[in-house]
This record gives sequence, structure tokens and C-alpha cells, in this order.
Amino acid sequence: MAAKPGSAPTTYSPSLTQKTRPPIFKGNDLDWVRPDGRGFHQCRPAFFRTGAVNSASGSAYAEFGNTKVIVSVFGPRESKKAMMYSDIGRLNCNVSYTTFATPVRGQGSDHKEFSSMLHKALEGAIMLETFPKTTVDVFALVLESGGSDLPVVISCASLALADAGIMMYDLVAAVSVSCLGKNLVIDPILEEESYQDGSLMLTCMPSRYEVTQLIFTGEWSTPDINEAMQLCLDACGKLGKVMRSCLKEATSASQE
Amino acid sequence: MVGLSVGEKHFIQGGIAQDLRSDGRKRLTYRPIYVETGVIPQAHGSARIRLGATDVIASVKAELGKPSALQPDKGKIAIYVDCSPTAAPMFEGRGGEELSTELSVALQRCLLGGKSGSGSGIDPSSLVIVEGKVCWDLYIDGLVISSDGNLLDALGAAIKAALSNTGIPKVNVASETSGDEQPEVNISDEEFLQFDTSGIPVIVTLTKVGRHYIVDATSEEESQISSAISISINRKGHICGLTKRGGAGLDPSIILDMISVAKHVSEQLINKLDSEIAAAEANEEES
Repeated sequence: MAAKPGSAPTTYSPSLTQKTRPPIFKGNDLDWVRPDGRGFHQCRPAFFRTGAVNSASGSAYAEFGNTKVIVSVFGPRESKKAMMYSDIGRLNCNVSYTTFATPVRGQGSDHKEFSSMLHKALEGAIMLETFPKTTVDVFALVLESGGSDLPVVISCASLALADAGIMMYDLVAAVSVSCLGKNLVIDPILEEESYQDGSLMLTCMPSRYEVTQLIFTGEWSTPDINEAMQLCLDACGKLGKVMRSCLKEATSASQE
Repeated sequence: MVGLSVGEKHFIQGGIAQDLRSDGRKRLTYRPIYVETGVIPQAHGSARIRLGATDVIASVKAELGKPSALQPDKGKIAIYVDCSPTAAPMFEGRGGEELSTELSVALQRCLLGGKSGSGSGIDPSSLVIVEGKVCWDLYIDGLVISSDGNLLDALGAAIKAALSNTGIPKVNVASETSGDEQPEVNISDEEFLQFDTSGIPVIVTLTKVGRHYIVDATSEEESQISSAISISINRKGHICGLTKRGGAGLDPSIILDMISVAKHVSEQLINKLDSEIAAAEANEEES
């Protein structure tokens, strides 16, 4: 289900910063070689396709290495809670895992908080005042969990919203960085995530250069924070471009 | 939640811009913190924190369990938060579930560090009794009794106080054990081990209202927020966890600025909290 044969896979690896740190070989197992052979600052090739689900108002499918996600958007629909009048629209998000998504069956129920994180990441980008009294439902399904699940879900969801024609300030791109010992590793896979000492997930609106969601886990010192944020912002900018080109392709294909 | 008129909103925002909040505090001042420890005798450790009208209780219980196969030399720690309907009627039944999950996840992130266990405020390897077979399972439960804003900071402080009040019973292991047998353990009733809580971080929530940041927002001020950042900082000044809350977008330079402001505020907060906890423990011993 990967990209068309013959086209180079688009990737959004950030540019290396001017001052590159010399690799620190500590002699113990902190000298990490990435299992899929990528560099520390190299992201997986990103594949997006809109219009995956015909019956939805808008939908998108994303595949980043082994992480496969499909998102459908329904709406704007009449709000169920018709008694609570609101002059701005409502956003309802739900992220669920299929039972076969994780290596051990049924492990996806550990991630109940992803729904509210997706909601927070998207609500800053959507113009809620354009659909008062109605609700937009975003349903995300993780078909296979290969690491960095939530960032892929967020990016895919914002593409699905664009496909549905919901007015937004900007697309939302998300990237995560893991800290393994002294190394900062971008777009971690499942194995790297289980060994990580700390992680950062950043979602931003690339054209507006605004961060909508930011989550740090683990112990970080200030220079590491600066470096990690710069890395993420760079990668988000490039990912934004990839998402835009996917939307353009979809509209030009439908025009033919 | 709180309904505010347009006039009240302007009043709050204008006051904050002039470094004067509705209750007379400055932007970076906390409300007075009252700490009581040992409030739940049946738990191994407990504490109650009052931050203005926000009232939370944290309790720590330790039970014997088996360490997970992936990390046989570490104990397990679980943090859960429950929002009681006494705080707000909408918390009844499943209403408070979203807020509870959000608070639980944020506390787990701030206090337990990364998946490999590093950066954790509590050292999980101090909880192991027999490697691979027996360990302590620590259950930390937070209860929100009354909510007037800034629940995350109050819960973080309550957990810190509860952990410094916690006494884990000493365990004697029967020496002769072979292979797969579960070793026999005797839990002593008299001797207790205290936790070293100097490594536990505090959580500082910075709320951005207009162009200024305030610390320790009341629920009136919280209804105004465009965005907020909760940062957990330990004594060394390292960030142990950061969550952005609220929907609006933030410029990255503002985030870095907020981090440095939070570091500055956290030093005072850690010192204040430590002295309050010590005073509370001394009170408890007298009574």
C-alpha cells in the first residue's frame, strides 16, 4: 500500500543544525544504531492519501514506515446535546486502536489519553466559529502501531479535516523526538520508544510558526530542550510541505 | 463552570496586565499553602493540601506484587486521580472522567519520567525486594475535594507531601529459595523505611492571559485562558515533564520564555513546600 512505484518516497527530515555535536561513544550501550538504518535526525518516508473512506465527509490515510493510520471526519453535523447552545462549533475526537495493531493483542487500550490530546492539538487550528451549533467528529483508527503513533494520527487528522472542507487557520503537523542517553532521535519506532529516557511531542502550524501542543516526558536540561524543539519545528515545516503537496495532488487528480 | 460577564473579563485581564490580580496577588505569587500529613491512618502515607479554596488529598499505599518481566529490577508505581462530585456536580458518575484522566496522565508524566524509568522522581529500583520475584507496587491516589483552579500544582504538591510521609514496612525474606518458588516474606509491623523525596519535582502551571503569565490561577482566571503550560521542575532545575494545555497556538520563543519563568518560580515553591511539609510532619508527631 506504499507510494506509487517509480516515485521517490517523500520525506521530511529536518536540516542538520550548524553546530553538529560530535558523536559521544560512551562505551556502554548508549551507542545506539537505529534498527532501520536511519540517521539520528532522519525521519521515515511519509505517505499520505486523502479520500480513503467514501462515506465520510473527509478522510485520510497515512503510512510512516510501519505506522498506519486512517482518519475519517464526519460533519459539521447537528449537535446531540441540542440543549447546550453554543455559538461556536464543537469538535469531538476519538482515537482507537485495532486489536491487531500492537505486537501483543489488545495493548492499544493503554492509550486512552490520545483522544483528548488529539482534541487539544486540533482545536487551536480549526475556525470553530464557522460552524456554530454543530459538531465535527474526527475518528482515528490506528491500523498498525509502529512507533510515533500520536504524531502520525494528528497529521493525518488535519489532512482529513482539510479534505472535508472544514475551515482551518493552517494544517497541523506533528513530530516526536526521543532522547536515548545523550542522543536525540527523531521519529522513533516502537523499539526505540520502549528504551527512551525522555520524549518530546510537538505539534505546530508550520505557516504560522505556532505550537498547538507540546509534551515533554523525562528529564531534560535547557540546551537539550532548545535543540529538540528546533529539530521538531524544522521537521514540522517540511512535513507541512509534504501534506500540502498531497492535497494538491488529490485536487488535481479529481479535476482530470 | 464559571460564567463571567464581558466587564468582569476585562477587569481580570486589565488587572493582570498591571500586575494586580483580583485577590491582590502579584502575577507570580502563589496562594498560601496549608499542608497536613498523615490524614489517612490506613494508608502508608497521606497528605492534604489546601491552596486557597482548592483542596486535594493524596494517599500512598504499597502492596506486594511481582515485577514485570521487562524490568525485573524495578518496582511499579501507578498514579490515579479521582475528581469527587463534592468539588463540582458535573463530576458525578462519568462526568469527571476526562479531567481525571488528563490529570492522571500529566502526573504520571511529570513524576515517573520516561519509559525506561530514568528521570523519575521516585527511584523504582528502591522498591524491589527480591529481583524478578517480589517487589512493592506503589499506588498513589489523588482525590479532588474542592476545585478552585490549579488542580495539577496542588496534586503534585500533595503527592510530594504524601511520599515524604510514607513509611514502607521493612520486609524480611526467607533466605532459602530455589528457582521458581515464590520466596516467603515477612512484613514487619514496627520498622519502616522512609522515602527520599528530595528528587521529586514540583509542578508549576503558567497561564497566559493576554500577554502576561500568571501562576496559580483561580477558576475565574482559568476560564479566561488562551493557553497554559504545566512544567515539572526538580531541585536541580531540570525539566522533568511539560504539558501544554489549552487550545491556542503559542510561539516557540514564548514557550522558552515561560520555561525560564517557571524555573525561577519553582525555586521559591520548592523551598516553601519543603518547609511546610517539615512543619506539618513535626505537628503530626506532637499530636
